[in-house]
Amino acid sequence: MSFVSIQNLQKSYGASAVFNDINCEIGRGEFVTLLGPSGCGKSTLLRCIAGLTAVDSGRILLDGQDLVPQSPQKRGIGMVFQSYALFPNMSVEQNVAFGLRMQKIKGQDSRPRVLEALRMVELQDFASRYPHQLSGGQCQRVALARSLVTRPRVLLLDEPLSALDARIRKHLREQIRQIQRELGLTTIFVTHDQEEALTMSDRIFLMNQGRIVQSGDAESLYTAPVDAFAAGFIGNYNLLDAQSASRLLQRTVNSRLAIRPEAIALSLEGEREGLVRSHSLLGNVIRYRIEARGVELVVDVLNRSAADLHADGERVSLSIDPTALCEVA
Amino acid sequence: MSRAESGPAGLYHRVVVYVLFVILLLPLAGTLLYSLSTSWSASLLPSGLTFKWYLALWSEPRFLAAFGQSLLVCVGALVLSVLLILPLLFVVHYHFPRLDALMNILILLPFAVPPVVSSVGLLQLYGSGPMAMVGTPWILIGCYFTVALPFMYRAITNNLQAINLRDLMDAAQLLGANTWQAAFLVVLPNLRKGLMVALLLSFSFLFGEFVFANLLVGTRYETLQVYLNNMRNSSGHFNSALVISYFLFVLVLTWAANRLNKDKT
Repeated sequence: MSFVSIQNLQKSYGASAVFNDINCEIGRGEFVTLLGPSGCGKSTLLRCIAGLTAVDSGRILLDGQDLVPQSPQKRGIGMVFQSYALFPNMSVEQNVAFGLRMQKIKGQDSRPRVLEALRMVELQDFASRYPHQLSGGQCQRVALARSLVTRPRVLLLDEPLSALDARIRKHLREQIRQIQRELGLTTIFVTHDQEEALTMSDRIFLMNQGRIVQSGDAESLYTAPVDAFAAGFIGNYNLLDAQSASRLLQRTVNSRLAIRPEAIALSLEGEREGLVRSHSLLGNVIRYRIEARGVELVVDVLNRSAADLHADGERVSLSIDPTALCEVA
Repeated sequence: MSRAESGPAGLYHRVVVYVLFVILLLPLAGTLLYSLSTSWSASLLPSGLTFKWYLALWSEPRFLAAFGQSLLVCVGALVLSVLLILPLLFVVHYHFPRLDALMNILILLPFAVPPVVSSVGLLQLYGSGPMAMVGTPWILIGCYFTVALPFMYRAITNNLQAINLRDLMDAAQLLGANTWQAAFLVVLPNLRKGLMVALLLSFSFLFGEFVFANLLVGTRYETLQVYLNNMRNSSGHFNSALVISYFLFVLVLTWAANRLNKDKT
């Protein structure tokens, strides 16, 4: 039985629907991600689960109990915001202790729990600092400790890493995942960053225009996108209509095809049907733009050595892994 | 050393700043010297220095009454402002953000109507009948509330926008606080700076307000500025002592408020 069950959830502002008929099931201790572009309804869905935004209809069951009629205070849900939302007038320790203070848990009982939460996010030495004395990454770790200290039944993370720089983002995402596993905490993470979603999640719900268009683990989402949107959003897929696909593969194809850029190999043997239009170095990967049989393709090749580099204007042969061809709607 | 402090440009910048200071401080220094002089009429410098004008001023019951009455009216208006505007701002910014545009128009109204014009209106409205208040401090408190409104609203709005009210409220509620606890424990302490700025600005303005006080209340409830106006034919030294006392009071108040308003570190 699922721990969190969202059933037929609907929300609209006036005439415009934010999402329509959302259904999803989340298991106990699972880390799921709501992934999608801005405005797809993922943050609103998260706020509905938290009780910060009222739903129009539908049910949100947590351990079999409907949350919809309950106030945010009573739901037992922790949330981390993109803006950190730390209380500027309180020290780190006071911020983390706030939830316990609201539960009337006094000093000697609350302090060990606060220090334990701060130790978890490696900020035990910063207890007396104020939010304005911390970096963005530290602020977000305090926010995480603050939401963990009350031992929530579900943790919601609303784009918590978006405002941070790349290095800190990477470190914090590993730290969040580690803490989540340690505590076995059911977590719903919202992001528009596909890399974050793929690296952190047990399961991903891909959303677009208020609908969940695909769900599954990172592997299935990445290798088998169900439609053109999923293929475009999750990876840098080459999307070919049936006619182009038939011309490229020199056999009859009846539907649109999505081909991952790394599923195409380049060599100098054979027919050399492709022409290198341009290339760019992305660190460990070289991204080529190849024209073959009148079709423009993006091809990613591992950057092994400078000797393997194909120059612009060079003719190359293409071999496409047939298992990597995805038919999409 | 910063760029502005070195070279000929630096000299020019310094001169501009010093000249500005001299222009601003000269009348004040003249008034101070005049208030401390025994007499100063046909000579370049005063004939002697004395504190007698200050002693006379601060032992004058009419002045002390006017000072106290000014203080009372200003504090009354500001208390009323805080009690009404803080909850209003909270409701506007948390529940009905769209009302902010309307509020921004409304708060300009006290500036749009000249004080003399609104005084005439107020005299007609509150001069007689069941709401007769002209000549009492109540009408001044009500009137000063509208004058303070723009200062209060703008300063606190800026503060509210800076603290990200919605996320703070949401975070507090998810941690178990009800709306009142969230407002008093989380939002209000973070509005201290904006509130202090608003109160200081409004107080300095209202404490020196003359037109409304003179037209609506006059000598029936004499405030400091009305008293100063009524004393215009008395000794200039005495009036200078009054002006300097008024200035020092506002200065000390501002300094004290700034001290209290310092960041925790």
